[in-house]
Amino acid sequence: MSLTWRLLRGGGRRGMLSTWLTLGAVVISTGLLLFAVSANVAFSGRADRGAWRNPVQATGQPVAIEAGRIDYVGDRQITVVDLASLGPKAQPPPGMARFPAPGETWLSPALAELARKLPGDQLAGRFSDVTGVLGEAALVHPEELVAVVGHERDAPAMTVSRGDSLRGDISPTKVDSLAGVPSEDAEGYRILALIASVLMVVPLLVFGGAAARLTVARRDQRLAALRLVGATPGQVVRMTVAEAMIVAFAGAVLGTVLYGLAVPLLTRIRIGGGPWFASDLLPGPLVVLGVLVAVPVLVGLSAVVGLRRVVVSPLGVAKRETPPGMRAVRLVALLAVLAVVPMLGTSASVGVVAVVLGLAFLCINLVGPWAVGLIGRITAKRAKRPAKLLAGRRLMDDPRSAWRTVSGVALTGFVAGFLGLLSPGDALAGHVASEQLRLTAPNTAAVADQARERLAKAGVKATVKTEKNLVVTDVRTADLDRARTALDGLVPGRSATSEADDQRFTGQLLDDIATGTIVVLSVSFLVAIASSGITAASSVLDRRQTYALLRLAGTPLEVLDRARRSETLIPLVVMGGGSIAVGVFCASPFMMTSPNVSGAIMLAVCVVVGFAGVVGAGALSRPLLRAVTDDPAPRPD
Amino acid sequence: MAPRDKVVPMNDVLAGHGLAKSFGQTVALNGVDISIRAGEAVAIMGPSGSGKSTLLHCLAGIMKPDAGEVHLLGRRIDSMKERERSALRRTRFGFVFQFGQLLPELPAEENVALPLMLGNVSRPDAVRQARQWFVPLGLGGMEGRRPGELSGGQAQRVAIARALVTKPAVVFADEPTGALDQSTGHETMRLLVEATKHNGASLIVVTHDPGVAGWCDRTVEVRDGNLLHSAVSQ
Ligand SMILES: Nc1ncnc2c1ncn2[C@@H]1O[C@H](COP(=O)(O)OP(=O)(O)OP(=O)(O)O)[C@@H](O)[C@H]1O
Ligand SMILES: [Mg+2]
Repeated sequence: MSLTWRLLRGGGRRGMLSTWLTLGAVVISTGLLLFAVSANVAFSGRADRGAWRNPVQATGQPVAIEAGRIDYVGDRQITVVDLASLGPKAQPPPGMARFPAPGETWLSPALAELARKLPGDQLAGRFSDVTGVLGEAALVHPEELVAVVGHERDAPAMTVSRGDSLRGDISPTKVDSLAGVPSEDAEGYRILALIASVLMVVPLLVFGGAAARLTVARRDQRLAALRLVGATPGQVVRMTVAEAMIVAFAGAVLGTVLYGLAVPLLTRIRIGGGPWFASDLLPGPLVVLGVLVAVPVLVGLSAVVGLRRVVVSPLGVAKRETPPGMRAVRLVALLAVLAVVPMLGTSASVGVVAVVLGLAFLCINLVGPWAVGLIGRITAKRAKRPAKLLAGRRLMDDPRSAWRTVSGVALTGFVAGFLGLLSPGDALAGHVASEQLRLTAPNTAAVADQARERLAKAGVKATVKTEKNLVVTDVRTADLDRARTALDGLVPGRSATSEADDQRFTGQLLDDIATGTIVVLSVSFLVAIASSGITAASSVLDRRQTYALLRLAGTPLEVLDRARRSETLIPLVVMGGGSIAVGVFCASPFMMTSPNVSGAIMLAVCVVVGFAGVVGAGALSRPLLRAVTDDPAPRPD
Repeated sequence: MAPRDKVVPMNDVLAGHGLAKSFGQTVALNGVDISIRAGEAVAIMGPSGSGKSTLLHCLAGIMKPDAGEVHLLGRRIDSMKERERSALRRTRFGFVFQFGQLLPELPAEENVALPLMLGNVSRPDAVRQARQWFVPLGLGGMEGRRPGELSGGQAQRVAIARALVTKPAVVFADEPTGALDQSTGHETMRLLVEATKHNGASLIVVTHDPGVAGWCDRTVEVRDGNLLHSAVSQ
């Protein structure tokens, strides 16, 4: 252990540099890993907290009746829950101190606040006898507008079926308890979150692996030397792994702290109509513990794998041979998966789609090194200048490490291609009437009369007519909330809604998909760019002795630098472009609308930012290249 | 410490005068005068840390001496800019280091052709010229192998080919056989001296092995940054 510590500190300036790089990589990985895990936990938390509003039909002795509907104020939706107790055994829903008595109304903090701010005839008039405020446990998110209304068990709101024609309509249901089950929508979000986190975690793992190998790459020769002086393979492995794990643990701790500091910012990401409770995104102690254990272990494992070759031969990397060719089978695998894609329709289940996507993702990762090797062969064959020749041979020699440099961006390109085309943008947000409120009524003529009366009393100018089972009210948009308030409770359990209101859920979903896409892409690009920077740096460190000797012999730094740049750029352009194309192809069966402009713009922005980022991150290794080749007496240290 | 002799005889290819170099407190070179004639092979010997590599680096324009001058064919090179010195090293000098100088991903012939390509020789020409070195150096059939697939001695011979392919005026070798066993080392050294002479280039070689030094025309000894004596070997 003390030897390990000396090894860690004794690596000199360049040794420290790679240790810092590894540390930085682990910090980023840990932070993002926590984010990916917490996002899932957070969506589950939302689903669980919203479950009580989604009643389950009683099987035994019912204790309460529950019903629900969606109302609107401005362009925000209010979830109204109607409750009636069937006996003294009725437990209150989460977030309420007691079961609401008939006539009482409990509001969520955001709704109470809004009711205070708006003129009474726009919102507050809808709620009589406001008794209490709902606690966090009752709310999906902090800005949610929720009203819980208590009723007598035989009140019309608790007995008349609501037909469930509109989204959020829940007919009175007798329940054993107010536990409920997560709604289908919440489950949908949970699955989307899962897919998003898989899309984020895969590049993250690739990244973590690269970071771990960086520690090893730096130590290869030193370890080979240790082997030569007679350290046993076991000792060498233990030392390196211990070293990698010490660094990884420090990185994991820092990453956790960093994530904790970022939580206040992350809670502001609006999904599902609102931001997050900090407690949603703060990982539990078990998650933190898991990450603090898993990250160093994964890094350690990665280091072991990277070390194998050094241990096998004391000559270590000095003994490089022509790499065995990689078989085109990899390409066949990708083509096979892609062949399945056109068979998927919009009707395919989410699970199947996720599996196919995951497979395509994996196959790109499999094909990557093979394709990079091929690109290298072509580049080397056609090279006329030394820089291109060096780049091509290098790609041929170690396509895997070249792939690691660009894989992040390429895989993100795949995601961007997929999501960029899928997000329908504003295509669906066509023009829909918002100045016409419709109310489903059993007895339209009578209800229409009452509506006219109520609206006149409220001083709202409106024309009311009937249409089949609807009472239709035309008002000016400015009077909409006053009309809604006036019509509230006219038909028990029914809200007067406009066509725009009815589409709000779809709009919300599309917004959320766009937000999710941006989050996933930002994360992946961050990872991709960091990872390409780190791999580029480690590739320079790996070969610093040869580079330094070449420079001593008069090779211009520009040639080495140009070679280094081509080494990244050539595969980046080919593989990045290829992956985007595959992503677009995979998305094509699911496209709801024709490719939209905003999706294409997002894709273009991603491509430009990603490529620029990789090139920029790679440019950081130019000073490193200069530094390692400035040493007039390069030795394997 | 001022240069004692500024007159450079015409048959001196390379000459250093009053070369001094310190690293912090360590004096690596303490006013060294040395001159190398055309086609001459000079061995530099001396204990570890005595300043042999530093002397070589100063003569080759890799390092700027703190004081003194270096002349190549009458032209002062130590005061040149790094870019010029780099070009000079590429075109007029050849280098053989102990190990690790070959790019592991390039086949042997491309490693040899690289300096030519850097000098704007077209790739097919460069490779053709490079290949001509393989048979004379006993490397026939190894053209397509990569450094990892060569023995240490073979790799050093590829390095020799690379150092000579540009027809340099001077070849610098810093313990070129230091990583080889003695008999392979001697064999490699013989090839280095012969091939350099055959090409009319001068050779400056740092070595610890008196046997190796025996292949050279002359041996100079460095002690604590000073040139001790010159001995002409037969
Ligand atoms: N870059 C440097 N920084 C500091 N000190 C240096 C540096 N290079 C050389 N030295 C010191 O200068 C002195 C001469 O070093 P040099 O490398 O020339 O010795 P050498 O004769 O080649 O030794 P060896 O036979 O071990 O290679 C030594 O004391 C060494 O420690
Ligand atoms: Mg030396």
